[in-house]
Amino acid sequence: MNIQLPYKVELSFPGDIEYIPAIRKFISEILLVSHFSPKFAYRSEIIVDEICNNAVNYGCKTEDARIDLICNIFEDGIDFTVKDPGGDNFHVERLKNALSVESDKKSDKGLGLEIVRMLSESLNVVIDEQNLTSVRVVRKRENFSQNN
Amino acid sequence: MIVNIKEVAATPEAVILQFSGELDFESIKSLVDAFKKIDINNRKYAIAEVGNVSMISSAALGEFMGFRKTLLEKDGDLVFAAMNMDIRTKFTSMGATKIFRIFNDVRSALNAFKWQQGLAPEIINLTFPANLHLVPPVRQLASRIAKQKGYSNKDSFRIETIIDEICNNAIEHGKQGEDQNISVKIGIDQKQIEFDVINTSDPDKLDTLKALLKPMHEQEIRSEERRGRGLSLIKMLCDELSVDCSEKGTVVHVKKVREVKDGISN
Repeated sequence: MNIQLPYKVELSFPGDIEYIPAIRKFISEILLVSHFSPKFAYRSEIIVDEICNNAVNYGCKTEDARIDLICNIFEDGIDFTVKDPGGDNFHVERLKNALSVESDKKSDKGLGLEIVRMLSESLNVVIDEQNLTSVRVVRKRENFSQNN
Repeated sequence: MIVNIKEVAATPEAVILQFSGELDFESIKSLVDAFKKIDINNRKYAIAEVGNVSMISSAALGEFMGFRKTLLEKDGDLVFAAMNMDIRTKFTSMGATKIFRIFNDVRSALNAFKWQQGLAPEIINLTFPANLHLVPPVRQLASRIAKQKGYSNKDSFRIETIIDEICNNAIEHGKQGEDQNISVKIGIDQKQIEFDVINTSDPDKLDTLKALLKPMHEQEIRSEERRGRGLSLIKMLCDELSVDCSEKGTVVHVKKVREVKDGISN
């Protein structure tokens, strides 16, 4: 039975750095079995790693904080959404600064978003009034994009 | 040097020591006084949060080692959290990184303590389409998580095999279709790992499935018969296996106790 695209994979895991290597490898492997190239899979792995690290380091305040990762795999690419329960106001402001068009490189320091931007078609962040943060990244397959 | 002692809600055995300033020779008395304030009869885990520390002397490190030794005697520990690169470099040069565990932040340090105490399993939930091509990544995910959490290579491989068999069964014996999903819930702690794998039932396959689930002594396994061996394999590799099969779906629950060798968990 061949894989039918599009499909969705959902993961929920504790907000702990230890889980990230296994999670990013999982995403890379599901892309490979979905006939994306190793290059695409590896670059997607980098994106997942950056965003999940940010979510754990800056978006998890309590010990029971959890991260949700939703991947939609399409014929022409993938989109990831990573949700965290929200960090403190300092880190939320830092994220907002890193996302603003006018921000200089210094404010982006440590968030790795520059790498994510380089490797993706779009990066969107939604932060609600309780600092619940959702980061969505869209990445297109090589044939459909010039960014690879 | 300034030190604040903070309680940890819902974890009375742990305490956080927030340091700021310089942990130099002159701060030793304050350091010792802070350690004395901690009731070691009830505390076994101390987290030294040093994010605002600009310098740590060998003498201060010696005091930390002494206090750690006291906690170790009670099967506890003293760990560091939020250490900046300069302090970490100094720690490395003094060989202290071989003695102390260092965490990115207090939260990670507390999670590590809870893991050690087995206070609650850590839960991973996964939902994926019912397609056999996705099973290898899923089993690798489970295996890697087990390894990362300190399970042995042998245990991790067995866990991988268990997940592989159960997921394959869930897909083969469940309802087919693009909209069908498999749910996997993994609960892992210091002592054991548990899985729940859930699918949607295929009414046409339910009878076959129930026949496969018959107790082993009721079945006749012929050498040329390839069906039904997966469950036997899972039973050999795990400590508990239960299958709840209904018209809605099948829930397979597996528990595997972590292998202990010579009194030490592997």
